[in-house]
Amino acid sequence: MLKRKMIKNFGWPLKTAMREIEVTRLYPEVMMELPENERGIHELDATTCIGCASCARVCPNSCIEMVHFKYGNPLKNKKMQFPQVDYGRCMFCGLCVDECPVECLKMGKKVTMAGWEREDIIKGPDFLATKRFSAKEVADLEAEAKRIAAEKAAAKKAAAKEKPAKEGTAAGNAKKKADAKPKEGGAA
Amino acid sequence: MTNASEVLSSIQSAFPGAVLDSRVESDRRLWATIDSKKILDVCKHLTNKLNFDHYSGSAGVDWIARNEMEVVEIMASHGAHKVVAMLKVKTPRENPSVKSLANLYWNANWYEREIWEMFGINFEGHPGLYPLLLSDQLIGSWPWRKDFKGYPDLTTGERAVAITTPEGYTEYRFPPTPAEVEAGAVVAERPKYPTFREREEREIKSDSEMIMHLGPQHAMVPGPFLLDVLVEGERVKKGFLDVGYIHKGIEKIMENRTWLQGIVYTDRMCYVASLSNNECYCGAVEKILGLEVPERAQYIRVILEELSRIQSHLIGTGEFLTLVAGVGYAPWQYMIIDRERIISLIESVTGARLTHTFVRFGGVRNDLPDDFAEKCKSTLPYIKSRINEFIELFAQDAIYQKRMENVGVLSAEDAKRVGIAGPALRASGVAYDMRVEDPILVYPDLDFKVIVGTKGDCADRVDCRLREILESIYIIEQCLDRIPAGPIKPEAKIPKKVPAGEAYYRVEDPRGEMGMYVISDGGDKPYRVKVRGPFYATLQTLPPLLEGVYIADVVAIAGSMDGCPSEADR
Repeated sequence: MLKRKMIKNFGWPLKTAMREIEVTRLYPEVMMELPENERGIHELDATTCIGCASCARVCPNSCIEMVHFKYGNPLKNKKMQFPQVDYGRCMFCGLCVDECPVECLKMGKKVTMAGWEREDIIKGPDFLATKRFSAKEVADLEAEAKRIAAEKAAAKKAAAKEKPAKEGTAAGNAKKKADAKPKEGGAA
Repeated sequence: MTNASEVLSSIQSAFPGAVLDSRVESDRRLWATIDSKKILDVCKHLTNKLNFDHYSGSAGVDWIARNEMEVVEIMASHGAHKVVAMLKVKTPRENPSVKSLANLYWNANWYEREIWEMFGINFEGHPGLYPLLLSDQLIGSWPWRKDFKGYPDLTTGERAVAITTPEGYTEYRFPPTPAEVEAGAVVAERPKYPTFREREEREIKSDSEMIMHLGPQHAMVPGPFLLDVLVEGERVKKGFLDVGYIHKGIEKIMENRTWLQGIVYTDRMCYVASLSNNECYCGAVEKILGLEVPERAQYIRVILEELSRIQSHLIGTGEFLTLVAGVGYAPWQYMIIDRERIISLIESVTGARLTHTFVRFGGVRNDLPDDFAEKCKSTLPYIKSRINEFIELFAQDAIYQKRMENVGVLSAEDAKRVGIAGPALRASGVAYDMRVEDPILVYPDLDFKVIVGTKGDCADRVDCRLREILESIYIIEQCLDRIPAGPIKPEAKIPKKVPAGEAYYRVEDPRGEMGMYVISDGGDKPYRVKVRGPFYATLQTLPPLLEGVYIADVVAIAGSMDGCPSEADR
């Protein structure tokens, strides 16, 4: 029994060398099941990210950089800036996830990130985004953003026209303040 | 029972005028500024009259705005009472010098050498003020002073001069500026200290003696440190230690990171004990902030720290057993398989296997998953049965006993005197455990024993660790029964800036007493973080322990300390 098994085992390298080229074999052969809380590669919800860069600020290794990405929400993220993570430096501490105010950055169960070049492991929002808008949705949202901006501008103009009546008092207040300030400074 | 205010009044009555400033934080913490002329007498008084027999360490602080330096001596007692006295000695920033305590307390030696090489504070009467952690080139630049500009000098780029040696290596030198030489602020010619090699070779007295190197890369050591032994025949006459091969300057790095980012660095001091390191740092900051940790978070912390202790003891013991023949290689593999179960338990909560970054100011990062208690109930009894098997296995193995019993015996008095920590101290029969001495979190409510040994030999140290695992399992079981529902984080937002203040917080690391002394100046970064690591204290005790033993026993003794040089070199 034992001998037969041994011969079978010796046959393994021969078999693999003849038939297929395997670079590495997974060991254990079935991937370990990772827990829900696993801190793996980031998952970005580009539809809710507001581009505040608090993840980039809190990163102890400063491996997060904010870069441009098309498929986000132009209503919330006006400059369309999204995090890009340098996995060559990331130590998976999870501070960026804790710091996110809209909870759009999560860490998932994916852990493989190998690449042939140093640049390959710098993953941009295109790789990280698990949720994103399609090009058409983005175009719609952009139109919406433009419309809102135009409305705001119109409202401003209208306000500016209406203002003169009120402005007198406002300007008066400002003048009073300007007068008061030097006095305070002088007293101090 | 002595408390802090009694200690203070005792010092004040014995030495009128010696206490310049004092603050009684609680019954267990005393902060006092002592006149630098009287520090030796005060320490003698504390040791002889008030049972302060544990010199726990010292920290240097550079107060550049006040133009003075401070040395903080941390004094405690091995169980007679629970007061920790933090005695500060001030010295001007020009030619800083304080009296050395190394002749009074044997283990002050390393702490003072570290302060001297990092801050340039001279210690009068120190028996051998030689570089400890830094390389020879950096001595004299005092890197942990606040006005240190980097190596090479990054601000001017001129001061550090690159020289190519005949061998082709690049070396950097800091020639002092003429103004500095004139002012006498720097020593123009850097004083020449005998190197480690020269110092050890001085001890060779006859042709029959020789020096044997164990390390820096050696199967015995879990990280790089150099242990040289002077041998005559088969006997070791003297041991020499050289550390600092992986000195990372974590204390200085943390001064340049925000409070929150500092947690990440405490992980990296010693990755098998990263949860207790997290706890120590966060606890100290919580003390300054005056934060209350919600009860559920406290229980979660205790559960995870005990799990972390189990896995640390398993890997520590397993690794050590590969070194001593006898039971051989098999237990290591059994232990590493068992440890895997514990690691997966921790991972299911924290999301990381070793560097957890899990404890937060005032709480924890994640709640326990729903099936955690179930998983624990299937894993812990298994671990318990395995540990009992191991204890039985070692008790039966004759070769193991011959190699371990009565080898490297440390008596209780010696263990107290040399300031060794953790299971190695408890194996000598001294019940000194931070969970009892300086209780934190919910430890006072829990029922557990402090495991002590009887003889203090290598076998006892391993036995202590294994029995501590059983005790940890008991603690976790109690916690799982009692853990309440509720929040895991404080409701209020943690401020980015921490109010000015200072705190000293101690936890029981798997390797012993881990303390952190954190100073805030009201900014968003710590002003100073001093780590009093357990293995730093244990490592220092190796040379005297090795005197007179056989070469073959060196590995058994050094290995039984369960070392982590990364934490000593932090």
